[in-house]
Amino acid sequence: MSLNKNMRVVIVDDYTTMLRILRNLLRQLELENVEEANDGDTAFHLMQKNPPDLIISDWNMAPVTGLDLLRKVRADARLRHIPFIMVTAESKTENVIAAKQAGVSNYIVKPFNADTLRAKIASVCGVTA
Amino acid sequence: MDAQLTTASRLLDAHGFLDRVIAELRVLQSPQKDTLVSVLQYLSDHIRTTRSEIGALRQGGNQPLFGNTADELEEIITETARAAGSIMDAAEAIESVAATLEPPANGALMEAVTKIYEASAFQDITGQRITKVVGVLLSLEVKLASLTEAFGSLPEPLGASPQGDEALLNGPQLMKNASSQSDIDALFETLS
Repeated sequence: MSLNKNMRVVIVDDYTTMLRILRNLLRQLELENVEEANDGDTAFHLMQKNPPDLIISDWNMAPVTGLDLLRKVRADARLRHIPFIMVTAESKTENVIAAKQAGVSNYIVKPFNADTLRAKIASVCGVTA
Repeated sequence: MDAQLTTASRLLDAHGFLDRVIAELRVLQSPQKDTLVSVLQYLSDHIRTTRSEIGALRQGGNQPLFGNTADELEEIITETARAAGSIMDAAEAIESVAATLEPPANGALMEAVTKIYEASAFQDITGQRITKVVGVLLSLEVKLASLTEAFGSLPEPLGASPQGDEALLNGPQLMKNASSQSDIDALFETLS
């Protein structure tokens, strides 16, 4: 089984460069239905209007952090089932634990490579990388 | 602020009082006074040295303790973002050309482009680290300013401002202060 090329992905990061990196790497995976948000609040509104199939979010953003966004997503009946990958430079054990407790589907530490991104997406979408 | 001024004034009074006590003790004939005078003199010298060291931390006048350091660091973030953007532009151009090529050339180019995308994450990582350092600097500045206030009027820092040719070595200017090439050309023209 392979990735659904039509799946809609929302990527969230306050660094434009990182959004661009993610978009380009996703394009190489033939995932081109991608929407961007610069912060958690904008992302949440985007998702409420049109629930995506996958969320890839940074943690360290203001005022709504990636962890806040994750909690909001998991508390929303329409969104709670959506796979959520945290992509962040926050790599302390307590961060990973907190994200896991909040219901994160997978966790990628920056800087990351394309293979890791591919593997994590495949994992949360239940397909082989 | 009033409380800080009061503290500063009390500190100066106390230091002056301490020096007067030392002077009065010195003229006494009592043989037991020497230890006490030594201890008080040590305290007085210590206060004077501390005030002088805190004074040396100032940039002079009312300038922030760290001058433009925070702005300089913020500018690194802006510059690296711009550089990363240009790198990505180039990588995307290569990627679109690679898509028109046959294997194995296209595969090799795509692999190289992927590596460029991955490496461009340096901007995010360095940006986050610098933002953290800026936060620490700003917090230190507030604490040092409060300490300076507490010590009242301080001696002027020695050699704080570079002179002569050294004063011309300021590194890259902040964007908000920088002259454009046309500004420089115009100035150069007026000088020749």
